[in-house]
Amino acid sequence: MADVAGAVGILAQIRLVAEVRWRILRNGLRRKTNRFDLLGMIVLGVFSGIFVLGLCFGFFAGAYEFLSHGRPGWIALLFWGIFVFWQLFPIFATGFGAGFEFRSMLRFPLNLTAFYIIGLAYGLADFSSLASVCWLTSMTLGAAVAKPSVLPAMLMVVGLFLLLNVTLERVIGSWLERLLSRRRTRELFVALILLSMVSLNLINPIVNRYGALLKPLALRVIPYFSWFPPSLAGRAIAGALQAHFAELVLGSAGLLFYAAVFSVFLWRRCSAQYRGEELSETAAPARVAARRVAKAEDVPDRLSALSPQVAAVVRKEFRYLMRNNFSFFTLIMPPMLVLIFSSMFTGKHPTSEHQISSEMFFPGMMAYLILILMGPAYNCFAFEGRGIQTYFMVPLRFREVFLGKNLMLLSVLAVEIGVSLVMLAWWLGLPSLPVFVATLAAMVFAVVGQLSLANWSSLTFPRKLEFGQMRGQRQSGMAVLTAFAAQIVFGGVSAVVLFSGRWTGNPWLPAEAFALLAAAAVGGYFASLDALSRMAEEKRETLIEALCR
Amino acid sequence: MTETAIRTQKLSRRFGNLTAVDGIDLQVAAGQFFGFLGPNGAGKSTTIKMLTGLLAPTAGSMELLGLDFAAHPVEVKRQIGVVPEGMGLLERLTGSEYLQFVGRMYGLDRGTTQRRANELLDFMQLADRPKTLIADYSHGMQKKLALAAAVIHGPRILFLDEPFEGVDALAAGALKALLGRMTERGTTIFLTSHVLEIVERLCSHVAIIHKGRLVAQGSLEELRAGMSGEAGSKTTLEQVFLSIVGQDGTERPHLEELSWLM
Repeated sequence: MADVAGAVGILAQIRLVAEVRWRILRNGLRRKTNRFDLLGMIVLGVFSGIFVLGLCFGFFAGAYEFLSHGRPGWIALLFWGIFVFWQLFPIFATGFGAGFEFRSMLRFPLNLTAFYIIGLAYGLADFSSLASVCWLTSMTLGAAVAKPSVLPAMLMVVGLFLLLNVTLERVIGSWLERLLSRRRTRELFVALILLSMVSLNLINPIVNRYGALLKPLALRVIPYFSWFPPSLAGRAIAGALQAHFAELVLGSAGLLFYAAVFSVFLWRRCSAQYRGEELSETAAPARVAARRVAKAEDVPDRLSALSPQVAAVVRKEFRYLMRNNFSFFTLIMPPMLVLIFSSMFTGKHPTSEHQISSEMFFPGMMAYLILILMGPAYNCFAFEGRGIQTYFMVPLRFREVFLGKNLMLLSVLAVEIGVSLVMLAWWLGLPSLPVFVATLAAMVFAVVGQLSLANWSSLTFPRKLEFGQMRGQRQSGMAVLTAFAAQIVFGGVSAVVLFSGRWTGNPWLPAEAFALLAAAAVGGYFASLDALSRMAEEKRETLIEALCR
Repeated sequence: MTETAIRTQKLSRRFGNLTAVDGIDLQVAAGQFFGFLGPNGAGKSTTIKMLTGLLAPTAGSMELLGLDFAAHPVEVKRQIGVVPEGMGLLERLTGSEYLQFVGRMYGLDRGTTQRRANELLDFMQLADRPKTLIADYSHGMQKKLALAAAVIHGPRILFLDEPFEGVDALAAGALKALLGRMTERGTTIFLTSHVLEIVERLCSHVAIIHKGRLVAQGSLEELRAGMSGEAGSKTTLEQVFLSIVGQDGTERPHLEELSWLM
């Protein structure tokens, strides 16, 4: 008869979860291709440390200042800052952070209470929680130094505030996990995050323009915020300092009430997970009408000018683009940003003081578009996944794959540039003819010139990316560096050539120079395709290994 | 004289210090249903990857349908079909789109590709979810689609790496019938599987690879006859397999070491 493992304490299980997370992180860095990520993480760690420590001083000083200068109610602002960061940052981190499937713990012999407590402890190990705990500690210290008598109340309120926040964060996290378990929702969520990030750029112009109109509305809404947890925490501290114990009790009881409500919600989510909630989205197959077998004449080929293989790659790339919300929204962003920058820098907006000449602004905006849109080309196999093997199994040379992919990219660029061009012309007006022609030729030079490098980078530093996800999605460090270096070189050369017209007094000189450079870039591109095909054969194992992982 | 579909000479592949495939000499006649067996980590998938151009050998040569693979990779690939390990599907296409993509990549015209894609989808019972992405297919459905993609151009050699894994009994029956018909028409099928019963039922010839080396090759009858002390024709492939790969004792489990479990 086999013996049975003994019970493991909750603390030991928490430690095991922490260990496994650490090992996942460490083992991920053991891959040779991830060494550059380690460098990135060190840099990120240093900056994060500076950010947290810097704000620790800020929260200490803020609490000290408010309490020592008779404005204890203002401490609510500090609680608001922490609350917003604590709850919002993990939502963005859901997109960008490294993944760990907490539900996978369910296969082990945990009871529901242990699962719930480990869930809370797991929530406390997030960056936002750790940073917030540091800031709350600094606030407590600042308050205690300013008014030592407030320390007991501060400890109680901060304790309740901490419990409330960590519970709420887990509630939001577990609901997000449920929502994001469906691919479509996940992709929409990513799109929503992207849109909100772009929308942040609009806040300043809107406030400048409509601030006066919004102010009375904001003043009417603000009192309702006094019943939110950060304001309650502020009221409790102010009550303790001013000996208004009713305020202290009301504020603390409010925090306790919120913590209890969130705990109930979290308990219900944990119970559902514990019972084995099914989040899979695979639907049962449904029989539908038999398909009509298409005849050859039914399908006129719009890409008949291309070879079958190149046309197939173009079609596949188009479908992938349409189905990848993340990529798709990166296409909407550039024209939007052109619009925003136009309104900010061209003097058309009432808040703008200086107008930049379209002679400068037009080439600058076009360079900006290329900068954004060429980025993905440096890892153009990112979304192939296991499908990369298809390219090596079928009878073609890799130049046809590159031609198809590059053709699709050029089409997208043409559309993006066309839309932006129309917007700029409508908003700002076009530059002089020599600058316009020079800019177009410069774009051909910069784009086609970069394509060869981008194709080389895609073969040399491949990195798999998942559709519709930002979670754990990082480009290869070397691909990013290559893109960065190439953009600097092409941008630098283009700037020098563009300014040569001014220096020499010949307005058509840049256009002529760029025409020559563009012709050389096109020639170089076609010359590179065969070499890249050979390279693809040599690098197939690296590619397959990196993308089929 | 029978045409040779696959011939390798001293085919080897090393990964650093590890020799995954160690100088194997394979010979598969055209039209054979050939089973390639071996325990986990024996070198089966590495061999199939080399034979299909997904992996370069470190030594040795391969000839498929009389063509040197290294010298004529495109011509060889035109005549073979592959269901690789992991299936190699483009998961953000629908089944129909993927088949059309693959057909066009093999150079079929659009009409032929579409017609064949529809017929294959119907045959594989995948036609009822035309808008479903491959990413949302079950494992068995993905396997059937990978097989459909491997045969859309009518290959002369078909490489199948664990083709029946995750496929339900009904579909497996249909696939076996299809594969049987293909061999009757002269297609060579090179199959790896851990399910020895399937290999025994389908394959006429078998090779066994163990620790990177080819330890047995021949028809099932020849392998059975090679077993000493057994009753020839009554010997199952499993017994043959175990007697060959278990000869050095390393593959036999030492149950006494797990006494705590019993």
